[in-house]
Amino acid sequence: MFRLCAIGLVLLAGWMVYLDAVVTSRFEGRRFEVPSRVYARPLELFDGASVSASALERELSLSGFRKGGGEKAGSYQRSGNRFVISTRGFSFPDGDEPRRRISLSVSGDRVQGFSVIQGESAPIVRLEPAQIGGIYPAHKEDRVLVQLDEVPALLPTTLMAVEDRNFYDHFGIAPLSIGRAMLANIQAGRIVQGGSTLTQQLVKNFFLTREQTLVRKANEALMSVLLELHYEKNDILETYLNEVYLGQAGTRSIHGFGLASQFYFGESLKDLDVHQIALLVGMVKGPSYYNPRRHPERATERRNLVISEMEEAGLIEPGRAARARGLPLGVSERPSYSENRYPAYIDLVRRHLARDYKEEDLRSEGLRIFTTLNPAIQYAAEYAVTETLPRLAGGQSSEALEATLVVTAKDSGEVLALVGGRDPQFAGFNRALDANRPIGSLIKPFIYLSALQEPERYTLSTPVLDKSFTLEFDDGKRWQPKNYDGEERGEVPLHKALSRSYNLPAVRVGLDIGVDVVRETLTAFGVDTPISRYPSMLLGSVSMSPVTVAQIYQGLATSGFNTPLRTIREVTDAGGEALSRYSLEVEQVADPAAVHLVQYAMQETMQEGTGRSAYYTVPQELTLAGKTGTTDDGRDSWFAGFSGDLLAVAWVGRDDNGPTSLTGASGALPVWSRFMAQVPQHGFSPVVPDGVNYHWVNSERQALTDEYCDNARLLPYIAGSEPTQTISCSGNLERRIRGWFEGLFQ
Amino acid sequence: MIDRLSFRAALLAALLSLAGCASGPGGGIYVPVGGEPAKAPEPPRTSTDTEESEAPVWRKSEQPEAAQEPGEPSRSSSPSYRETGDGLSPAALSLVREAEQLLAQGNVSGAIARLERVQRIAPRSAEVYFKLSEAYVAGNQLGSAEQFTLKGLSLAGSDIRLQRAGWLLLADIRRARGNVAGADQAEARAAAL
Repeated sequence: MFRLCAIGLVLLAGWMVYLDAVVTSRFEGRRFEVPSRVYARPLELFDGASVSASALERELSLSGFRKGGGEKAGSYQRSGNRFVISTRGFSFPDGDEPRRRISLSVSGDRVQGFSVIQGESAPIVRLEPAQIGGIYPAHKEDRVLVQLDEVPALLPTTLMAVEDRNFYDHFGIAPLSIGRAMLANIQAGRIVQGGSTLTQQLVKNFFLTREQTLVRKANEALMSVLLELHYEKNDILETYLNEVYLGQAGTRSIHGFGLASQFYFGESLKDLDVHQIALLVGMVKGPSYYNPRRHPERATERRNLVISEMEEAGLIEPGRAARARGLPLGVSERPSYSENRYPAYIDLVRRHLARDYKEEDLRSEGLRIFTTLNPAIQYAAEYAVTETLPRLAGGQSSEALEATLVVTAKDSGEVLALVGGRDPQFAGFNRALDANRPIGSLIKPFIYLSALQEPERYTLSTPVLDKSFTLEFDDGKRWQPKNYDGEERGEVPLHKALSRSYNLPAVRVGLDIGVDVVRETLTAFGVDTPISRYPSMLLGSVSMSPVTVAQIYQGLATSGFNTPLRTIREVTDAGGEALSRYSLEVEQVADPAAVHLVQYAMQETMQEGTGRSAYYTVPQELTLAGKTGTTDDGRDSWFAGFSGDLLAVAWVGRDDNGPTSLTGASGALPVWSRFMAQVPQHGFSPVVPDGVNYHWVNSERQALTDEYCDNARLLPYIAGSEPTQTISCSGNLERRIRGWFEGLFQ
Repeated sequence: MIDRLSFRAALLAALLSLAGCASGPGGGIYVPVGGEPAKAPEPPRTSTDTEESEAPVWRKSEQPEAAQEPGEPSRSSSPSYRETGDGLSPAALSLVREAEQLLAQGNVSGAIARLERVQRIAPRSAEVYFKLSEAYVAGNQLGSAEQFTLKGLSLAGSDIRLQRAGWLLLADIRRARGNVAGADQAEARAAAL
């Protein structure tokens, strides 16, 4: 018997040593894997900021602001176009934005009368950014770590009053409470009370499975005692506050009071009121059973019970308790962000991050990732795709049609929005990044840019031949390019050939200037994949993803400056220390003067050429520049273009590369222009570069002329390349007089 | 060399601060969505006249309704362009001042972060790119400084003062990088203004 006991004791001792190792290793090491948080760009508010009232309200809601009096931090008041917003303050990588109350009105999509009415005054204020996603540990646990000293004192005291009154006195287990609980359960005939201490609950969640066996119970008790032996009570309490399971958002589990506070109230833990603390503590018993969004009555009942316990324990006065019981739950309508709201965009962010960070660090280190996503622009982009696509199908089934839209800030290269397919919520094939499709006529601006960089040979009014020809290759194969409409027009001025997207002149100019020169231009503008040497590349047989197209059009939209597309501004660690900054970079890759001429023709495209139907949707006043692209049988319909602020690339086609009845103008352009029509922005109006002069010319006859003459056109020329011949028009007295009066009033 | 560069950059800084104050908010080409009646677009100009309001005959709003039809010839000869970039708004200027303070404290990356905020709200202003150039000079990243100067010059347009400041800055940066010919060229451009 003694021997048996001895063997038992040795085995138990060995088991204890093992359990001790388990307990300490987890507690000594990094206790939690904290997901990375991905933030949208913060909205900057100042006099003159362009934002519509509805977009501002949407932005506030996305950032977890509640509608109300605008007095409490994290709330706002709107009356008509007037807003009063109380910000919560936010710690940005480049400095803290303190709490403020601001007032402003929105007029004509612009902020007016911006002022700080409480807090440090400033002419420009950043709202806290909306959280748009997370990069989660494999087990999908999400949490916001909190420290005991930053938690409102009422939370741990309430937790103890409800779950473990003797927390600070016991040694991990409380035999008395277990006995009491057993008694209560026997009396009730079912489990009504648990006897577990907070330490036991933590051990159960931390180290053990949920099964109810005696062995597990014994292990739980042993480990609880061991935990108490090694660690301070406050250490255990803090770990509990961060570990406890408090709900589920899709596949993501909500752990700890820090995140639960954001998840249910959209507020930081330190800002919670009595009734909110009571609700969270009450939910510990059964987060799904007492889910306040699904079962508000149960949750209210449970909350009020907790408030009574708080009152009984002397934590709050009876008056305060009564008031708290009378309050509504105060739960935000939906979590301040839902998982996977912007799958295509987050996909691009992850690919950018993958260059510098290990996946496991992103999943566990609690990094903060500040992206360039503009939720208002993304909203407009998604709307444009989902609304337009069903109308494009014509006779055929619209199911097969897919579309992408990439939107960037023209001068900074920041990717503001990305739509990867007809269902923007679908986290599958990301066409914006992975669909490499022939770009068709989108290549033409680069052909003409290559030509216009030689002003002694080419100007916008240089006549180019719109006439068919046949190329015969060494292997005997023949190639005979054609115009889209099958017609030939003889000589046309270069600007017209580009704005009308005639194929034959483009191929002729490309061959004249050299396929290799065009390839070099494309490479300089950011194509990093091999480009075909075949002349068919001049009609866009080169394949690119929509994001790559956006990259190369960036240089056309600015004065020939390449700007690497960026989705991330900064990455910080969990404590806010900067880990990486992705700065604005610019690099001049083309002669600004030649780019200006191409920009002219791309504006002409919108006003007179293949892009003109955009103005059915877009306000006439918004000056735009762009280019259509279509490939054989309408397999790919492209449109790339820009305003003063935004560059957008739209693609419409089928995943199976099947034919459609669409052209660039009838497929991608409607998506593009519907997007552009929704966003307040500046028109495109490039600054005339040094060495470019505008002249009134008759471009058909390549001669300078007078403003009031028929066919007069104001064209930019690189100095020295303008026509030398002059023709004047006789007659047209009316126009002469108008010209004369214009002079008088200038 | 860097010292002289910094001196010139500081001089430029002073100049630009003034320029910013003088030019005020830009944005004559802003088109809101719905709401207010749309303003007339920026007219094309044949002279260097910069008074926007003095070209009444070009206002689209005063043209007959038929001109609204897409593809009508009324738009045909009027692609938009302008002679200079935007100025800096008071909000942008306040951030520029913060950047200047950070730069004075030797906090180059802090200054760049501020200036990138300015660039996002005032992307068509030459001054902000010159300021970025100044910050990159302070951080001894002359390659980036040169590119930002070029970008600023692309927006200086007909503003002779901005152009001269930009070309001189470019000359100094190029000289510091050992590009003597390029520096001489830039200086000649400044002198020719």
